[in-house]
Amino acid sequence: VKAWLKDRIGWDAIRSSLAAHRAPHRSFFFYLGGITLFALLVQVASGLLLVLYYQPDAAQAYGSVQRIAGEVPYGNLVRNVHAWGADTFVACLFAHFFTVVLRRSFRPPHELPWLSGMVALVGGVGMAFTGAMLPWSETAYMHARVGSELAGQVPFFGAALRGFLRGGQEVGAATLRHAFGFHVAVLPAALTLIVGLHLFFLARKPAVLTDAHASSRTMIPLYPDFFARQSVALVGVLVSIMTLAIFVDRPLGDPADPRISPESPHPPWYFLPVHEIVRAAPRELLGIDGARFLVGGACLVALVAAALPFLDRRGSKITFWSAWVLLLTLILLSTRAIH
Amino acid sequence: MASGESDDSKKPRRDFLAIAVGGSAAAFGVAAGYPVMRFVSPPATLSSGPVIVGKIDELPVGSSKTVVVDERPVLVIRAADGTVRAFSALCTHLQCVVAYSAERNQIECPCHRGVYSAAGENLSGPPPRPLEEIAVTISDGNVVVGAA
Repeated sequence: VKAWLKDRIGWDAIRSSLAAHRAPHRSFFFYLGGITLFALLVQVASGLLLVLYYQPDAAQAYGSVQRIAGEVPYGNLVRNVHAWGADTFVACLFAHFFTVVLRRSFRPPHELPWLSGMVALVGGVGMAFTGAMLPWSETAYMHARVGSELAGQVPFFGAALRGFLRGGQEVGAATLRHAFGFHVAVLPAALTLIVGLHLFFLARKPAVLTDAHASSRTMIPLYPDFFARQSVALVGVLVSIMTLAIFVDRPLGDPADPRISPESPHPPWYFLPVHEIVRAAPRELLGIDGARFLVGGACLVALVAAALPFLDRRGSKITFWSAWVLLLTLILLSTRAIH
Repeated sequence: MASGESDDSKKPRRDFLAIAVGGSAAAFGVAAGYPVMRFVSPPATLSSGPVIVGKIDELPVGSSKTVVVDERPVLVIRAADGTVRAFSALCTHLQCVVAYSAERNQIECPCHRGVYSAAGENLSGPPPRPLEEIAVTISDGNVVVGAA
């Protein structure tokens, strides 16, 4: 059967093509892209299970999550895997992004892997944002309200974006239905397409080592050497997610109540820098509403980042140090927000 | 393989085909895209009308109550002089839900530490504007908000 299958799928040709590809292996950071994709697959698998019991209705969503955690066999484990998997996915996504910027791997001819990666980054953050709303807890409701209001500050099409995210003028039942539709259908379909393109572009213009240390010794065949090492990293990630899911519960909090804010409202950890900036920002900056100014500035930084392969073709030290400053600022702001 | 000359003679025809196919695809994209955009932009919802907060006697002087009117939280405060005022309970900064502190006689937002006076004026923190005041009437001993 094995020989028959190998013949029908043309395995020998695939194998020699993969073996001909060389991949850098010197550092853990080369495996982050694969780890991010794997974390996304863990989310797809656990999400497919959760959707069997979850009810995307404002009156029933919280109760259905409670039932998943309390009554469904292994429901709490699946929910915990999805919650810890989400954190792992977002953390790896940002680590992958910063690694690529710091290594200046966006340089030509890698414009297309970079651009598709940036779109995937936006899609990934969208998945995290819509997913965090779904339990329709007090925190989830506040997250929906503040998140959509922040999106409403985006220059030019903010109001349309806010209405679109909310499914209306106010945060309510329609918001949850929209978030659910995007979380389980629109964004996964878009991410499948864009991640597929990302991998395709990368296969056409593989990652290379351009520095002086690049040699045949630091490059290994994609198959089996790189895949084998990548698999070891993936097993490590899976063991970490499972260990956290088994031993560290993710509390659901109280159900959403539009009349009150949680006592100490904190967004998910990846929005902590934003939380801290909008808290500390003055009411007005250069005559513009403070929040609007900051969101506009963040959009500008994102646009510059997307255009990096065209703006900084040689990968200058300015980009390298700017990325370090941005990374350290984000870490500092998060730490400040926690305290 | 075709000769260079015949390739050249076919070029205008190929260009025409490319423009025709591309143009049709673009026209179809617009024709299909517009209804989709309109479909996903939600229609305006009608107001459900005034909401009874409760009996005026159940709202002691210096206390407050938050009710939901058309999916928006509304903060109703009975001031020290007995008058009743209602404000949108959405912070003008980023729309967190504000609450009245009887102890400090001020309205506070827990998210980014915004502070308003009991009359809804923004005093400190990031809120850029006062809270939106909402019409409130007393009818047959009932406190009614969102009255037309």
